[in-house]
Amino acid sequence: MPTDIATFLAHAVALEQEAAERYAELADAMEVHNNKEVAELFRKLSAFSKLHLDEVKAIADNYDLPQLKPWEFQWTDGESPEAAPSDRTHYMMTPYHCLQLALFNEKKGHVYYADRAHRATDPEVKKFAQLFADEEAEHVVMLEKWIATVKPPQENWDLDLDPPGDLE
Amino acid sequence: MNATTQLTAADFKSDVKPIWCPGCGDYAVLSAVTKALADLGKPREDIAFVSGIGCSSRIPAYTNVYGFHGVHGRALAIAAGVKLARPDLTVLAAGGDGDGLSIGGNHFMHACRRNVDMTYIVMDNQVYGMTKGQASPTTAPDWCNSKLTPEGTGISPVEPARLALASGANFIARGFAGNLNDVARLIVEGINHPGFSFIHILSPCVTYRPEQREWKNAVHPSADASPAQLVAEAMHRLAADDGYTTGVLFAGNRPPFMPERKEKATFADIEKKFVS
Repeated sequence: MPTDIATFLAHAVALEQEAAERYAELADAMEVHNNKEVAELFRKLSAFSKLHLDEVKAIADNYDLPQLKPWEFQWTDGESPEAAPSDRTHYMMTPYHCLQLALFNEKKGHVYYADRAHRATDPEVKKFAQLFADEEAEHVVMLEKWIATVKPPQENWDLDLDPPGDLE
Repeated sequence: MNATTQLTAADFKSDVKPIWCPGCGDYAVLSAVTKALADLGKPREDIAFVSGIGCSSRIPAYTNVYGFHGVHGRALAIAAGVKLARPDLTVLAAGGDGDGLSIGGNHFMHACRRNVDMTYIVMDNQVYGMTKGQASPTTAPDWCNSKLTPEGTGISPVEPARLALASGANFIARGFAGNLNDVARLIVEGINHPGFSFIHILSPCVTYRPEQREWKNAVHPSADASPAQLVAEAMHRLAADDGYTTGVLFAGNRPPFMPERKEKATFADIEKKFVS
């Protein structure tokens, strides 16, 4: 677990950057599979993550961050908590699924920062971890409100009348 | 490009967008490769990436280094040629389980024993995805979800790591696409290890093998503190392996194959032949 402020901010920058990149990657993938509506949503989520990345970078600019190798980051699950897990995606997923995925990621981000704030002994780490945890909590509330406005998918949302595995 | 500039993973991604299915493990492998290349700190023009045919073999097009999308099963022959002609390059080869272990199975064995200094990444999803889901050489004998093998293949699958070891590979590692940072580490270690390095990556096919989403619950790090350095020791470990152990499984010390290079003609001599 990062204990000093520079290492903590290096993690925060990577967290937001990887979230933005993963959403952009998923947007591209959905575009290729002609799921335009979800592609657009992932694109928006990527833009939101970039905004947050800029905020974190502005803070991080005041510190000399360590150059960590990808495998030197101390993530709980091996990957940064807000990078959307690819195995929770589907080429026919709906906007509802997309926002649920974003909510899942934001909750993980919130837990990550809240945990850091709770465990930190360095006052600067505690301050920024709490600030970021509060922001993630706001994102969670925002997404929950957004999801409430979106129609849940029908039971057969993944029914493909021309499925990839059909050879006939 | 300024060779002294520190490139990022994004610099190693091309503008070509992958057409893999959303959720495919190969996206993570692409990210791991670009992260590994950024960590190496080499300029893009010093890296060559060769592949065969199949979903995963599209990967060189999605990177920003010299790439060659080769012939089915022949990535290793091409990659070995590149390395022997240009030993200064870092050479990677990649493909899937079908391309590398069936169509290219013969090349795989001989590349292992030849031990040319290059790194071979196999993205194993135990299925032929590009041709709509047939059993591959690593498919379990009782997998019966393909119309071509409705009762399963009934054939024991190839065990890639065991085959690599038996054939003489000098470095063997296994990763899981769901842990891309660890895969990046394995690729860097493979590239830095002299000789033929084989990186076996469990890369789920969510379209034809959706049950592979559960691999994340099956993979586990090796219980051994360090990789086996002796073939006998590695064989003993792999004999008891469940196929889901991740990490460096073997790191040998055989010297790489590199024949003495004698210049037989200059470029000017070759040009003369074309002119006359």
